[in-house]
Amino acid sequence: MISELYEFKKYLNKESIFFCFSGPVSQELLVEIGAILKQKIKLEDAGNSTAIRVFSMVVEQAQNIIHYSAEKCPKQYPSKTGEEISIGIIAVGYENGHYFVLSGNMIEEEKVSRLQNKLTGLQKMNKAELKKHYKEQRKKGPDYGSRGAGLGFIDMAKKASQPLEFDFKKIDEKFSFFSSKTVI
Amino acid sequence: MDNLKLEATKYTPEIAFDCENHLLEIIGESYPENIAEFYAPVFEWLEAYLGQLGTQDVTVNMELIYFNSSSSKVLLDLFELLEDAVDDGKKITVNWIYEPEDEDTLEFGEEFQEDFESLTINLLEKSS
Repeated sequence: MISELYEFKKYLNKESIFFCFSGPVSQELLVEIGAILKQKIKLEDAGNSTAIRVFSMVVEQAQNIIHYSAEKCPKQYPSKTGEEISIGIIAVGYENGHYFVLSGNMIEEEKVSRLQNKLTGLQKMNKAELKKHYKEQRKKGPDYGSRGAGLGFIDMAKKASQPLEFDFKKIDEKFSFFSSKTVI
Repeated sequence: MDNLKLEATKYTPEIAFDCENHLLEIIGESYPENIAEFYAPVFEWLEAYLGQLGTQDVTVNMELIYFNSSSSKVLLDLFELLEDAVDDGKKITVNWIYEPEDEDTLEFGEEFQEDFESLTINLLEKSS
């Protein structure tokens, strides 16, 4: 791997990615990632509003990983102490005049179709429909199994300049790898 | 009753609820991992306060630089509580304070205005 690390960096550059993290994600880590991204984006004169928007996408994506990633440390789940860390990938880049956020984590196979339907539905909505849907969902409250308000993806779709992109890769009988991309 | 004062952290806002001066302030960022845990005592205090409140003028200053989607649900619940109190005859004014050029926070404020017609919500741009 040591000889390929530079190739890896070149690959990230080629994909216009300037920040990439893969591993255990925590709330504290999220705070620090947010701080360095805000600092970088401000230095690039992108404006406060853009910095907060990129930050907001990273928060929603990282908290999705924390709450829903099926890959945990330790592997014996649930752990003896009940304490566990979620594992995932977060990447941020800039291309064609827009920042983008990539996020990936393992999910249980039985959750794939519901998430896929939800995201396909969001892709088809225009801004006015997203706004209406956000308000309705917020009033209604979270769906069963949600650990937040169930608004993360709708919020991202609302703030994004392009429809959400996503992908599911089947790993085995039990798990798929879920990836998504939001463009600011 | 006692005032409620919670210092800001990196991901929770400062809560300064003053029941003598009838000034309730929420200032900072809100994206805790466990949203219910942080806001439970805030709602508990607010319900007790509104329950014993007379016809004094109350000012609520909300100055949130950033809040995540689950905090947005909490804000909705908070506005519902305030609107119910207004419908009950209480005098409450909300100031929704946003940073210059922060369109997203301004838009959230406008949407809350649409949703809560009997509650006075002023949208105020922060002077820089």
